Amino acid sequence: MASVTSQHVEAASTLAVIASSNEPLLFLTADLNVIAASASFCRTFQIDAAGIPGRQLSEIGGGEWAIPQLNSLLAATARGTTPIEGYELELTLIGQKPRSLVLNARKLDDGDNDRVRLLLAISDVTAARAASREKDDLIREKAILLQEIQHRVANSLQIIASVLMQSARKVQSEEARGHLQNAHHRVMSIAEVQRHLAASSLGDVSLRPYFVQLCESLGASMIQHPNRLSIVATIDDSVVNANTSVSFGLIITELVINALKHAFPCNRHGKISVDFRSHGAKWALSVADDGIGMATGSDKAKPGLGTGIVEALAKQLGGKIIVQDLKPGTSVRVVYDEMVTRTAEARSIA
Amino acid sequence: MPTHKNVVLVVEDHPIIRSAALDFLESAGFEVIEASCADEAIRVLESRPEIHLVFTDVEMPGSIDGLKLSHYIKDRWPPIKLIVVSGRTFVEQGHLPLGARFFPKPYNENAIIEAMRRMLSETD
Repeated sequence: MASVTSQHVEAASTLAVIASSNEPLLFLTADLNVIAASASFCRTFQIDAAGIPGRQLSEIGGGEWAIPQLNSLLAATARGTTPIEGYELELTLIGQKPRSLVLNARKLDDGDNDRVRLLLAISDVTAARAASREKDDLIREKAILLQEIQHRVANSLQIIASVLMQSARKVQSEEARGHLQNAHHRVMSIAEVQRHLAASSLGDVSLRPYFVQLCESLGASMIQHPNRLSIVATIDDSVVNANTSVSFGLIITELVINALKHAFPCNRHGKISVDFRSHGAKWALSVADDGIGMATGSDKAKPGLGTGIVEALAKQLGGKIIVQDLKPGTSVRVVYDEMVTRTAEARSIA
Repeated sequence: MPTHKNVVLVVEDHPIIRSAALDFLESAGFEVIEASCADEAIRVLESRPEIHLVFTDVEMPGSIDGLKLSHYIKDRWPPIKLIVVSGRTFVEQGHLPLGARFFPKPYNENAIIEAMRRMLSETD
């Protein structure tokens, strides 16, 4: 593919290097005359190699390289002002889909200032761009699908919540009504974590906004006289995975239901404090009230479904339940302390 | 106390959710009317000028959804109060007509009733 300009013979080695380049390359004079093209250029853009040397860039192939932007960029490169670096261009070939190209060009630094030579490298990124577009489409589809699932879950939870509340209004027995309302609170508590999950992209849940919202919605649905009873949540910056957050949320729900049910009879005023903090692997969740305190002896309440739920969830989390008489009131703490758990494990192995 | 009951139109395509909504609103002392899509809601609104508040879902079959319905109502019957509910968590307040309230599903019935009472007392 040797080529000859009017007075100057290009070094055969230079031309051989150009011809054998894997990346499409053009070797040009300052006035954009093509001295040589790589075989890869001819192949990629379907131009006959024999017709290239000695022609103007704008004349090769079917004239598709007559691109004004390219001309002005190459002229600037030849003047030595700005090399072309990663310039993106759409090339239109007759009867074909447009190709996405990335161009790089520089002036050869061979010490010959009279004969300026330009090297233009052309990467065809059409396939790569199509693949990345496809990937973007897939990501978008996945996001839409996820939203759709969250929407369906929310609707299903609404159906369950609606049925539970409707049943609670219809039943005659106070006890049955209480059970149905508690079931409704449990559903709402799960819905709350679902909402916080939908808002977080990584499947991790930030506990403070979740628990604050949970306590607000428990208060809104269970406290008839907000000036008599209140729920205050003090939560640190802990972030946990979704499953763990669901368990914590359900424990809080059960303990708050329990406190509201037993701690404040006869329109007693009071406050329920929900507290969560963690340090390293250790954490402590507590729900405390300033109510009448737990009955003992024959008045002691039979453990209900709520107690069973809290025990099962605490066990699942590896936590220990500590009940304390606050005089006045009661505090129930679920703590996870590596020491406690390790001892428990050692005992179960023995 | 007002001698008349406030009239609420419930627009919800799911029969179980709709019937439960009618039930809790009736228990709270509202007079309720139902529609299962936005098109039906508009027909009802045209024939029943006494409606004070529309409680609508967003995703429903029909020519327009509940969000568009809420804008149509705000435009055509400005005094009517609007509560919009949806299983989609983020219907931004900016997408709602001015003065409308949004609740994500599953909603808290007491919170809805309280919001309705507050909205309706603003004009009474």
